[in-house]
Amino acid sequence: MSCQRFDQPSSRREFLQNAGCGFGAVALSALMQQPLLASAGAGSGSSFKIPQHKPRAKNVIFLFMEGGPSHLDTFDYKPLLNELAGQRLPESFKRPITAMGEANSPLLECKRTWKQRGQSGLWISDWFEHVAAHADDLAVIRSCASSGINHAGGVCSMNTGSVFGGRPSLGSWVSYGLGTENENLPAFVVIKDSEGTVVNGVRNWGAGFMPATYQGVEFNGEGVPIKHLDNPKGVSAQRQREKLDLLGAINSEFDSTRTENTELEARIRGYELAYRMQAEAPQAVDLSKESEATRSLYGMDREETAVFGRNCLLARRLIENGVRFVQLYSGAGSKWDSHAGIEKAHGKLCQSVDKPIAGLLSDLKARGLLEETLVIWGGEFGRTPMSEAGDGRDHNPTGFTMWMAGGGVPGGRTIGSTDELGLYAVEDRLHVHDLHSSILHLLGLDHTKLIYSHKGRPERIDQNEGHVLAKI
Amino acid sequence: MKTLAPFLLLLVSAVPHYGAGEDAGRAASTFFENEVRPILANRCFECHGEKKQKGGLRVDQLAFLKTGGDTGPALVPGKPEESPLIEAVRYGKQDFQMPPKEKLPEKEVAVLEKWVKLGAPWPESNASKVVMMEGGFTPEQRNFWCFQPLSNPLPPKAQGEWALTNIDRFVAAKHAELGFKPSRRADTHELLRRLTFDLHGLPPTEAQLQAFAGEQSPASYERFVDELLASPRYGERWAQHWIDLVRYAESDGYNADEYRPAVWPYRDWVIESLNADKPYDRFVREQLAGDEIEPGNPNVLIATSYLRNPIYEWNQVDVRSQWDIILTDITDTTGELFLGLSFGCARCHNHKFDPILQKDYFRLRAFFAPVQWRDDLKLATDSEKEEHARKQAEWEAATADVRAKLDALLEPMIGKSVARATRRFNDEFQVMMRKEEVERDPLERQLSNLCMRQLTRARRTFDPVKSLKSDADKARYAELSEELKKHEHLKPGPLMEAFVATDVGPQAPPTRFKTRKGEQEVAPGFLTLLEPGDPAIPPVGNSTGRRTALANWITRPDNQLSTRVIVNRVWQYHFGRGLVATSSDFGKLGEPPSHPELLDWLARRFVADGWSLKKLHKAILMSATYQQTSRTSADDPALKSDPGNKYLWRFSPRRLDAEQVRDAMLFTSGELDFTAGGPAVDGNLLRRSVYTIKKRNSQNELLRSLDAPAGFSSTSERQSTTTPTQALFLLNGDWPLNRARKVASRVKSVDEAWNAVLGRPPTAGERSNAAAFLDKRLAGSGWREPSPVERSSEAGAFHEKTEHERLLANNAPKEGDDFTVEAVLRLDSVDAAAGVRTIASRWSGGKDSIEAFGWSLGVTGEKSRFKPRNLIMQLVGEDENSNIGFEIVASNLRIVPGHRHHVVAVVSCSERCVRFSVRDLDDPSEEIQKAEVPHAIRSKLGAGVSGLTLGGLGKRTTNQLWDGLIEALRVVPGDIAEADVSADFRAWKAGPVQWIATAGEGAGWEWNGDGKGAEGGDAFRQAMNDICQVLLNSNEFLYLH
Repeated sequence: MSCQRFDQPSSRREFLQNAGCGFGAVALSALMQQPLLASAGAGSGSSFKIPQHKPRAKNVIFLFMEGGPSHLDTFDYKPLLNELAGQRLPESFKRPITAMGEANSPLLECKRTWKQRGQSGLWISDWFEHVAAHADDLAVIRSCASSGINHAGGVCSMNTGSVFGGRPSLGSWVSYGLGTENENLPAFVVIKDSEGTVVNGVRNWGAGFMPATYQGVEFNGEGVPIKHLDNPKGVSAQRQREKLDLLGAINSEFDSTRTENTELEARIRGYELAYRMQAEAPQAVDLSKESEATRSLYGMDREETAVFGRNCLLARRLIENGVRFVQLYSGAGSKWDSHAGIEKAHGKLCQSVDKPIAGLLSDLKARGLLEETLVIWGGEFGRTPMSEAGDGRDHNPTGFTMWMAGGGVPGGRTIGSTDELGLYAVEDRLHVHDLHSSILHLLGLDHTKLIYSHKGRPERIDQNEGHVLAKI
Repeated sequence: MKTLAPFLLLLVSAVPHYGAGEDAGRAASTFFENEVRPILANRCFECHGEKKQKGGLRVDQLAFLKTGGDTGPALVPGKPEESPLIEAVRYGKQDFQMPPKEKLPEKEVAVLEKWVKLGAPWPESNASKVVMMEGGFTPEQRNFWCFQPLSNPLPPKAQGEWALTNIDRFVAAKHAELGFKPSRRADTHELLRRLTFDLHGLPPTEAQLQAFAGEQSPASYERFVDELLASPRYGERWAQHWIDLVRYAESDGYNADEYRPAVWPYRDWVIESLNADKPYDRFVREQLAGDEIEPGNPNVLIATSYLRNPIYEWNQVDVRSQWDIILTDITDTTGELFLGLSFGCARCHNHKFDPILQKDYFRLRAFFAPVQWRDDLKLATDSEKEEHARKQAEWEAATADVRAKLDALLEPMIGKSVARATRRFNDEFQVMMRKEEVERDPLERQLSNLCMRQLTRARRTFDPVKSLKSDADKARYAELSEELKKHEHLKPGPLMEAFVATDVGPQAPPTRFKTRKGEQEVAPGFLTLLEPGDPAIPPVGNSTGRRTALANWITRPDNQLSTRVIVNRVWQYHFGRGLVATSSDFGKLGEPPSHPELLDWLARRFVADGWSLKKLHKAILMSATYQQTSRTSADDPALKSDPGNKYLWRFSPRRLDAEQVRDAMLFTSGELDFTAGGPAVDGNLLRRSVYTIKKRNSQNELLRSLDAPAGFSSTSERQSTTTPTQALFLLNGDWPLNRARKVASRVKSVDEAWNAVLGRPPTAGERSNAAAFLDKRLAGSGWREPSPVERSSEAGAFHEKTEHERLLANNAPKEGDDFTVEAVLRLDSVDAAAGVRTIASRWSGGKDSIEAFGWSLGVTGEKSRFKPRNLIMQLVGEDENSNIGFEIVASNLRIVPGHRHHVVAVVSCSERCVRFSVRDLDDPSEEIQKAEVPHAIRSKLGAGVSGLTLGGLGKRTTNQLWDGLIEALRVVPGDIAEADVSADFRAWKAGPVQWIATAGEGAGWEWNGDGKGAEGGDAFRQAMNDICQVLLNSNEFLYLH
């Protein structure tokens, strides 16, 4: 596409309108998810260059335990909790506002067995025996904090940085900043472990105020990977091709008198890309050629781990195929939410993800992918030391654990800490905004400079509040 | 509290503040340059300099220090003890220490103290002198274009013949200045299409195309514009723009995303206001303060629904934060929407680029501080309310005794459930809730209102049947309910709930905002830059009058912001780009107007024309500027120097927006249902898009894929994206495919297809392309002339893969939670797997949202866990916990294939059971079989969006289709009297929904076949389907030129 620019853009808007002789070029580059960096490098709007430093990670796999996994029973060991079990929260602790109002309920003991693991001696409970074998690869952040006390606000916050909707998801920011490496696949893919609806629905992976180009695309774990990917029933590939050819012919006659409108051309490309995606996406997710050994590494041979194992394997496949950001939901529909009977509920869920996650880490490592792939584990918040309904725990957004592995993050360490009962983050408190900023940092993006201009405001993922965790 | 600098008039001169003699001046200068400036530069500039201004403060010039930052002046010359700068560097207070990381050495602190004591001498060169004015605004800020009063420009004289109206004269002047030439007038076909999409959101009708074909005269164009503006379709289209701006939606938006059943009257109010050309000032005033202006008029009160649009979380126990979020949302939206300023930026600090003080943000917010969301008001006139109250009193009198008994039975348990809900709140709110309303201060009333809504919900969702334990109590409850029901005829129907807001009372809660130095309290007020004083606001009735005052200010004829903002928005929706391209941000980060004089001229004219939007539309539409063609050649120099068409040298082509695409597809397929107003319907049905359900968390798939906003925040400009997933949906999705098939079913030839979709015959090239496509398809298929669709000889036959798969009852009234289905039918086969042969349904098969609620009566298949041939009723509704409940209620009565049966199913949610009866009409010896089966669905069967369907589900699902005959069927609310139940359907009394096969479809009934089945093997039909689908996906269809 030839392009003559006459003026320097004075705003992003103008750039969008002018670059490549009209909006269409941007529509097209956005469509192909070329990184803004690249289009800036081509000499068009240098003022839009997104500053980068040397990235440590290229891709992200975000393992989202939806509903709020208990840090107190998994990765944040609190011996004092069992000593004080049955008593009320000591007076020295500030009473939190909790979703169910359990500030004054007795403390609930942790029934897990804890061990120090690996060379590093990380404390990990017996609910994550398999993941524990990778202790020396994990950076366990014990001082996470979020602003959402309920699931809606919490999940939205963990995804977009805000408790209410309307902002782009982390995956959207990443694909906005880095683009995709395979234009026949979406840059941001989401896979759930069941038909359950993730709290707030599809907007969790929405692009908010950004163009829909950056929104996450939901893949199904089995069957047709993307909605509407298959031709309608009874329509053969041949018939689909003929249709597209007719469409192309009609469009090009129409467009021939309007060659200045490059957006029209972008639309034609859109249909062609869709057609190619129809061919490519099923291949990317076809697990039939994976060996038995691989399948069992992920726990696909056992009923309780089969689903999440398959999703973890799909995640690896998608990353290999150039997808930038994969988000896997475990317990879609707040199933990690254990207000009562936490032993049983968490026990089952931990079992369903432990082996698959360990398998994913081993597999990525064996293939040399772990270095460039940042794996993140966590939920929208943790759970309280106080009990609820006798044997459950309430939401705790004031202090909880997430961990990272790969992506150049040194493992075998803990970062930050909660108080002695795991209620509040006390050391190196890492708010969701900081977490997001740090993730972008690992991907080579400066969160203060990855800006999207919306309604006159230079918007950042962290709403101008985040700081990169230096220790990462 | 510190006085803020804004009210000082500060004129800083370059003359040092102390000393008379030149020597003294020099000494001061040396002291400053050698000792003071290095400290400031080394220690402070990084965060408080040209690049960054933490806390809104700069310290690289004296004027900035004296004006200060968010917390007021940082320095008072000569008075170190009163200078926060000194306080901060001394590290005296724990939360007010600078620099934040480490205290300065004592020596440096002493230098700064001495400097301030000396009067803070700061010798400056004239070049860097900054003149600060009132409020700390610079002349540059003060002179910024959007704050200037409206000018009164005269249309310039135009050369040549092109200009038709005054608008054109302004545009032509710019053309002349920049050396552009305007484009020629678009052809009639293009103009008709442009006008109808622009004003109605629809393609032109055949009649319009015919009436105006070839007409080039200005008079006929004008006539057409007038006609379109007078049509009710106009309001439906333009309401969509307003709905985007006010982030209207029909659900709460948080996880539960609860449906807002009473919000639609606001949407209708917008449509009706636009159609009636309600003056814009009135339109604004009603939305901001309708409750204060005409509290007794439901048609005005409903406008305050504007204040209810924020998202809301029904179970949020932190009500204080929730209320804060709600007020923030209203304030931000109001600032953008009416004033075109990004007020939101000034919530945490003075605006970085525009002269909006943090205090101004809270002055604006203070207008809304007294707002109370009301759940107790009705949309009814006084006389309707009186009538209702009278009947209600009668009913109450008649039922006093039985209700007292019910209360005695239930109230203790309801009390417990409410108490549980109460305990979720922390002590502070529990104390608040225990107070009498009169003891609560205004803020407590607002917060406890939010708490109480949750308690009311607990009461509303209490389920007696589940909660009563003993059989005796249960029996007693049943008996009392029965007794209560006897008086049902006395009970008046409910009045429409008013989803509105008023003030909490004549007294407002304080509006405070936090700065680093503590809290400040502010009174309502406008932009300090324009109106520094606090306006006097007289209370209105039981209301503070604040919002009326705000509305009056916004709608002042000389308000330079609001008048420009609205005319610019109208311009933007006509041209795709505003004269100010950033229509919700007129500030410094937005764009300056391309034609400032034209903008002011339009604004003045608009006010002079009585704030009439229709007159404004007409003035724009009659201009030559609007009527230009979009065509240009790729080598047009204007395309290179102004590719964005900022200077209007042609018409900018643009993709249709989501609602235009959906409505145009339905219009083209001949299915568009023009019913106006009322509750919203599912987007998969056939109403106009503006009437489809707008749930924030689950948007309609088509609309979402074409960039319709979800309604979380005000949207002034839609995105227009092109993504592969969008293409996949348009190519392979059921909904678009079905529209294409419908179009194809209406056309017999390629020419007709072109006319139907694009409103014109194909060109020679297109005709030959389509012919080649058809030839290829038909070659070898053995296809001959299509024969008319074969109709089954049997009336009322339903079979898969025919044109008679299902029968849709369009617009059938809802039967409610207690109803009866009676039918005479014959089943020809059962499903070989676990599919259900559906007799009738109001359900699409979903189980996970309120839209999916409904029911379905059918017969089980071979592999069913309920055994084959079982007559079952499937129910999806709310259970006693207000959770979504799905239940298969199996009668265990069997249907014999091949035999005629008389079937009755009486569904009762109030009694939580279904009573079935089945009689085999072909076996006279067979007795009537009966069954009564309990279930747990409590309510809302009718809340879903599926229409009543015979022979299948609302959404075509092949393993749920009836196979056989439905000779007659009726659905009646409530129970049918025993005596009226009859297999002889000719004796049925005409009811709301009644199907008699031999009487034919009649109005309201519509057969639905399988498009695929219909095309089955018919290569011609298949090819025509494809051609129509291609046309619906073509650029010509999807773009406006």
